[in-house]
Amino acid sequence: MRDSDPYNNEVRARFENPVHAGDIEGDYAEVLVADVSESAQGARLVLAAGIDAGIIREIRFRAFGCPHLIAAADSICEALVNQPVAGLASVDSNQLAERLSVPVRKTGRLLLIEDAARLLGEKAGI
Amino acid sequence: MSREFVYLDYAATTPVAPEVVDAMLACLGRKGSFANPASVHIAGRRSAAIIDAAREQLAALLGTKPECLIWTSGATESNNLAIRGAANARAHRGRHLISMRTEHKAVTDTFRALAKEGFEVTWLNPDRNGALVVDELRQAIREDTQLVSVMHVNNETGAVQDIRAIGQLCRDRKVLFHTDAAQSVGKMDIDLDELPVDLLSLTGHKFYGPQGIGALFITDYGHCKVLPIAYGGGQEKRLRPGTLPVHLIAGLGAAAALAQTERAENLRHVTALRQRLWAGIADVGGIVSNTPDADSYPGILNVSSDGIDGESLMLGMEPVCVASGSACNSTSGEASHVLRALGRSDSEAQAAVRFSFGRGSSEQDIDVAIERYRYSVEHCRTLAPIP
Repeated sequence: MRDSDPYNNEVRARFENPVHAGDIEGDYAEVLVADVSESAQGARLVLAAGIDAGIIREIRFRAFGCPHLIAAADSICEALVNQPVAGLASVDSNQLAERLSVPVRKTGRLLLIEDAARLLGEKAGI
Repeated sequence: MSREFVYLDYAATTPVAPEVVDAMLACLGRKGSFANPASVHIAGRRSAAIIDAAREQLAALLGTKPECLIWTSGATESNNLAIRGAANARAHRGRHLISMRTEHKAVTDTFRALAKEGFEVTWLNPDRNGALVVDELRQAIREDTQLVSVMHVNNETGAVQDIRAIGQLCRDRKVLFHTDAAQSVGKMDIDLDELPVDLLSLTGHKFYGPQGIGALFITDYGHCKVLPIAYGGGQEKRLRPGTLPVHLIAGLGAAAALAQTERAENLRHVTALRQRLWAGIADVGGIVSNTPDADSYPGILNVSSDGIDGESLMLGMEPVCVASGSACNSTSGEASHVLRALGRSDSEAQAAVRFSFGRGSSEQDIDVAIERYRYSVEHCRTLAPIP
């Protein structure tokens, strides 16, 4: 029987329990914030990173948007924590879309993830 | 009701009643009344008798004569047949039509198609409660107006139109009046013997009958001519050709008979459920009701909470099954045209949730819905950027 569930298990799990949602809690040499939005679809993403010596020690998100956007934001935070800031430049929404089984008509929303990461990277000087 | 999910989407469709299932099963299989009712042999006449009985059951529910009812595949087809059929039949007298922006897409899309074919359509806006201001209709009717279409109960908000006043105005001005009654037949009292309605659409699956069957009422008062929109075997007075589905019609007849005996109690039941639901969520910050307090069908409650993504809200509410906008628009992702016509912003419209209940809904269902709605709103707001 064809499964018409638009959300795979990872999307559901991350939507239900987004471990990286919220605000930066620790003290860091730098705390950078990127706030990006997409007016056509009304989505908004705030990505905040706590950085010490070029390493992302903590990264959090707040999002207004669909479950796929929330899951993607949580996923990218998990991938970037404790990574060099240079990693912000290589965030790829296509890979995210594939892993999260994002419907084609919604893949554009994930560009917000790339936009936010790139903006953070610019602020970090990369 | 299964606990795998909590079904509160009765305005989208209703579970088929056991009595209806029995009536349908009796028409299926070799030992059932399966024959083509148009056939003149014994088997065909048996099926024809079932069709006749169902037509009488539906006529009794609506307070009309059986010969005024045409079987269709549902309200969408009935709407198309009524609107297109009546407009084309009277086009030689005038090509001005009137409807409302809050109608179901089966009505608005049909009017838009007619507009492309040279008809002129005036779209009336609702007041803030979703009601048609009858005075505005009075001013909109012209010498060349031939048809007005206003739905009885809005499928998204539950707002009830004063079809008596609208119909009387149309009758006084010699304009045909059509109403899409998909959400009211079987749930609210409708007596077509005394309501000034010329054309009425209905569908079985909104009142515990099967999907795929409905009817169109065409008055025999005055001259209400309707031209067919399909051609073929001449069934249903040549207005709706095609072999009649005996099992579906039997089901609709049984649903109509059930509605006559249970309608009043069902109305009391859903009224109490809506009061319970609203009492449980009215204090959620930023919530607004899109359903008017008065002049609404009590089996529907439509609410919006600001600052919430509608899709995330719906996922957070699982396993409660509700609608975000019209069921027919559920895959489009577009904000509800009905709520936008009521003045709601795109974001408010997209975050709207329609709860709708019926004979199988329980207080426990409502309590689960309250808990999941409150949780989902809180969850989405916790994740959202701080304003």
